[in-house]
Amino acid sequence: MILHICEWLEQIRWIIAVNSSPSGAVIVELIHYLSFFLLIGTIAFVDLRVLGIAARKQSVTAIAEQLFPLTWLGLTFATLSGFILFAGYATAFVRTDVFQFKIFVILAAAIFGFLVQWRITRQARLSAKSGKSVAPDFGTRLLALISLVLWIGAILASLEVAALTGLG
Amino acid sequence: MSTIQDFGSWLQNTPWALAITGSDWAYPFVQLIHFSGLSLWVGTIFAVDFRLLGFGKNRQTPAQLSQSVLVWNWIGFGIALLGGFLLFACSAATYLRNPAFLVKLGILVPLGLIWHVIVQRRARNWNDPSGLPAGAKIAGSVELLLWVCVAAAAVLIPTVG
Repeated sequence: MILHICEWLEQIRWIIAVNSSPSGAVIVELIHYLSFFLLIGTIAFVDLRVLGIAARKQSVTAIAEQLFPLTWLGLTFATLSGFILFAGYATAFVRTDVFQFKIFVILAAAIFGFLVQWRITRQARLSAKSGKSVAPDFGTRLLALISLVLWIGAILASLEVAALTGLG
Repeated sequence: MSTIQDFGSWLQNTPWALAITGSDWAYPFVQLIHFSGLSLWVGTIFAVDFRLLGFGKNRQTPAQLSQSVLVWNWIGFGIALLGGFLLFACSAATYLRNPAFLVKLGILVPLGLIWHVIVQRRARNWNDPSGLPAGAKIAGSVELLLWVCVAAAAVLIPTVG
């Protein structure tokens, strides 16, 4: 079933056109890299702030509210451009263990990113009610640490896909 | 052979460069260092530039945001530089013959760095939450464009090599 979908994806005209055109592939690759940097750079910075390592003079809520929209913008563009790059060689990618592992790590990292954002928003509401500024609790800090490790893992898994398979 | 090519050959034959090239696991880890640093560097630069362009939330002023990310922005640059140098050292002679690499490192990165320092210094004064001068938008757009060009040159390295 999945292989049939992948074969169908590889036959879509505009996917073939983009991936077979040198300039098209370079532009999509460029968007993929830059959106991935935006995604990981902003979420890693929020995670570092939650852990009390970065920007301690600024509130966690202010930094998170400023940066999280950019994180999700980065994820959206990285997913769209990644999908185009994947679709051109879908049957080869989908058969590769390290690619499946990469997708698993990115999904896990995104879920932990959402959880960090949810906990920060909840704590901000509690702080607003009580009128006191509250530092991130242990649970939020633990989630931020896991998110940070998973995003670093996502970079490594992405590099390994290219190194071990020659794809991407 | 030119002096610069001699230097490239010497660098890629140093024991530590040969150790990275010859190891199955070391090369991806060096790439990981480079890409992790780049994520912090580019991610935090783009966050400030988008704020200067008025794109996204206005929860922090450009001055506050630029000040928040300042230290980790440069830590990211340091990590990217370390990883980048190690990657370069593994195939230095080849890189030094690559036009995209030479344009990236010889022109675009220095320009980007100079412009980034100027924007970072100017951003301290952009503290008015009600609005920003036109110069702020221009500064943000130029910086975004410069780093997009750096990334484009980097993506082209394997293509033109």
